[in-house]
Amino acid sequence: MARRILFWGAAVLIGALIGAGSAWWTINRAGGWFDQSYGGGWRGNALAGSQAADPYTRAIVARSGLLALSARETIYFTLAQDAEGRPLDEACVYELSGGALPARWWSVTLYAPDKYLPQNNDRAFSIDATRAQPGADGRWRARISAGRGDAANWISSRAAHRGYSLTLRLYQPRQEAREHPDTIAFPELTALSCPEPVS
Amino acid sequence: MPGASVVNATARFALAAVAAAVLAHLAFISLAPSMMMAAAMERIGGANAWAHAPRVTEAARTIVRPSPDLAYSACVFDLSHGPVRIAAARWDAYMSLSLYDAQSDNFFVVSDMEAPDGFDVTVVRRARDAPDDAVNVVVSPSAKGVALVRRLAPTPDRFAAAERARADDICAPAQR
Repeated sequence: MARRILFWGAAVLIGALIGAGSAWWTINRAGGWFDQSYGGGWRGNALAGSQAADPYTRAIVARSGLLALSARETIYFTLAQDAEGRPLDEACVYELSGGALPARWWSVTLYAPDKYLPQNNDRAFSIDATRAQPGADGRWRARISAGRGDAANWISSRAAHRGYSLTLRLYQPRQEAREHPDTIAFPELTALSCPEPVS
Repeated sequence: MPGASVVNATARFALAAVAAAVLAHLAFISLAPSMMMAAAMERIGGANAWAHAPRVTEAARTIVRPSPDLAYSACVFDLSHGPVRIAAARWDAYMSLSLYDAQSDNFFVVSDMEAPDGFDVTVVRRARDAPDDAVNVVVSPSAKGVALVRRLAPTPDRFAAAERARADDICAPAQR
């Protein structure tokens, strides 16, 4: 009798662990399966802000963007690499530039690898449509670096380490941008200086 | 034949394990959103009262990727004792109200584009629960959920103005 209980108990326990583990793995990793790549290395997620049609979609959306806005209100994009495909690094100095974006309001925010704001007190986490003043050529520019220097618009990467990311939010995007994100003229990121990698 | 009974036992073990795995997988997937929402509601705290978040800085670590350019207000609404009125004063820039049910579905959203004079909705569990004088009635799929107001406020001055604007926002049981 005891052997039978042990037998079935072990079977159910092993099964339950595999089932729960695979579910957890799915909702953590599956978000990436719906990622799409756009100009300049920006990535968007086709599921973000969508209405859950099934339990899988709901679980994946809840995990990656709980309490996020619907796609009608905001679309989100993330950039995690420079033009050469290298991960973004606190040790580098970048220039982010762009023109008008197809939305009522937009912002670009820097997040540390843990997806929270970097642990610095520079109060320079982002640039947004109200602060980005276009130059004579119609484009706005922001420097992304650990120190401000002489930058007019500055996003601080201090304490953001290597592997940080930028999130672009388009609030109340135009219908064209929402339905065809590949038509968006995304901001461009250029590495101005980067220390030679230690090999 | 002893060999056959070993095969038999292995097959039964595998079958039981697979059945348990499928059940556990489906249960986990379907319960995860409610559990994440329950944890979020726990963090927001209280019921039928606004929690106005301070300006988002590096110290904000409750929800991933918070925007430092928005003033967030959250309210856990609880309809188990009747309808709840949710109102937010007008704001002169982007502003939205989103309602999420207990399993994380965003079942209602309104922005200042549709309602430039601010928001005033009555959330009910069933349409017939609505008070007679309620104007904008929204039926919630669950008794508990979260209301979230976002106001665009990218600078310290704008954030201070948002704090003044939101001071009289309402999240409270509706008068019947």
